[in-house]
Amino acid sequence: MSIELNGIHKAFGDNRVLRGFSISAREEETLVILGGSGSGKSVTIKHIVGLLQPDQGEVWVDEERVDTMDREALFELRRKVGYVFQFAALFDSMTVAENVGMGLRRIGDLPDAEIRDRVEECLALVDLDGFGSRLPSELSGGQRKRAGIARAIAARPRYILYDEPTTGLDPLTRAVIDHLIIRMRDELGVTGVVITHDMESAFRVGDRMAMLHDGVSRFFGTPDEIRGVDDPVVRAFIEGRPELLEEVR
Amino acid sequence: MTARILAPFSLLGRGAIQLAVGVGRWGFLTFDTLRALRHVDVWGRLVVGQLARIGVDSLPIALFVAMFTGIVMALQASYTFTGAIPLYFVGVLVGKTMMLELGPVLTGLALSGRVGANVAAELGTMRVTEQIDALETMAYPPVAYLVLPRVMAGTIMFPIVTAFAIAMGIGSGWITAIQLLDMTSSQFWMGLTLFFEPFDVQYALIKATSFGFVVTSIGCFFGFGTRGGAEGVGTSTTRAVVVSSMVILVLDAFWAVVLL
Repeated sequence: MSIELNGIHKAFGDNRVLRGFSISAREEETLVILGGSGSGKSVTIKHIVGLLQPDQGEVWVDEERVDTMDREALFELRRKVGYVFQFAALFDSMTVAENVGMGLRRIGDLPDAEIRDRVEECLALVDLDGFGSRLPSELSGGQRKRAGIARAIAARPRYILYDEPTTGLDPLTRAVIDHLIIRMRDELGVTGVVITHDMESAFRVGDRMAMLHDGVSRFFGTPDEIRGVDDPVVRAFIEGRPELLEEVR
Repeated sequence: MTARILAPFSLLGRGAIQLAVGVGRWGFLTFDTLRALRHVDVWGRLVVGQLARIGVDSLPIALFVAMFTGIVMALQASYTFTGAIPLYFVGVLVGKTMMLELGPVLTGLALSGRVGANVAAELGTMRVTEQIDALETMAYPPVAYLVLPRVMAGTIMFPIVTAFAIAMGIGSGWITAIQLLDMTSSQFWMGLTLFFEPFDVQYALIKATSFGFVVTSIGCFFGFGTRGGAEGVGTSTTRAVVVSSMVILVLDAFWAVVLL
């Protein structure tokens, strides 16, 4: 197992977001975490890179326990993990190229010329050639997301965590980003965790899927398995049919 | 009935606990800032930019405040002294007051508005837009990248800006004295140097250094702790300015007790 979360509990004040959530992502697969807005999907993946600490439970990446790591070990781990933020989280004061090169400069031993080449290569991968000198404020929503992906892949991480990478995008841009996620897995062997509530995208990129509901895993299996599931909560979500929830109530 | 009587005490107690928690958290951030000194590869190249932003860019407002303070000081001194005290005491009052009190304190207060608000708003926006999380995921220690350069720049530049402000205040007081009052330059100079002690400058710079540290570290503290969206950024910014202004006044009294 390359990424494993065991029985994660996390509360913010009285709000118990995760109540024993467990998932695992195998080497070179893309795991999709489904769930409604506010169900705790972003909270979950923040645990994987130690941005949040669980109240209870264990987080493992590459056979290393993340939730007990000290800061230095966390920084080492983060060099292996790329993170695509929901709203890109690009640094406003820097150009797109500077944003993409940030992670590379942190590696320390890369010459400037190589950093420039890698930045251009990553921008080309996300179809943003020629956009390097622009500021994030000069990009559209889709371009910002792609720039965020370019930044996440620049340091050639083994794992990439995608926080709602296609939310709010037009169908064409969504397809472009989905294909990019698939290429990351197929061509670079990246293990991905994608959180989304976009079912079309989930079926396109996911090797396995987990559904987070009420803080626990309501379903965990392959896309074929989720299509045949009887659980009305899962079916209501994937088919977009709220009336099915009446059966549960 | 008992609850109503105890309510003010309970409010006071809650306020005291909140204050203690806040001071404790600020202490932890300060400790982290000192620990971040070892990441010189992260903060080293960022300090120069912050020196310019926090120091050089603050000069106009500091000089503006000091210029008018010097003018008013000279005129008020002359108004107060008329007939009773020799006019060259205008120089004494302008010099001593600008160095010991108004130069550092007014510069500190003006810069708590400009620098403290700027730092809190910038870091607060970075927090709510997940830019600080993004830094962490790229293995940048955020305290070394964001806090340390700002605190260092504030601590270095506030005394420099204050020195210029004191010079401007004394200069404008001198021009006012010779243009608007019945004084000569030599009279003003005599007053200025009459009770001058080199320690006065030292005292002003010690105060300004401490103000630079608290304004930037409090701005970073509130910016870092921002929650929510635009409203959260606004709240953090206001708190940063209010708290750093209050701390400046407390520190001002503290240095007076300790050093004078």
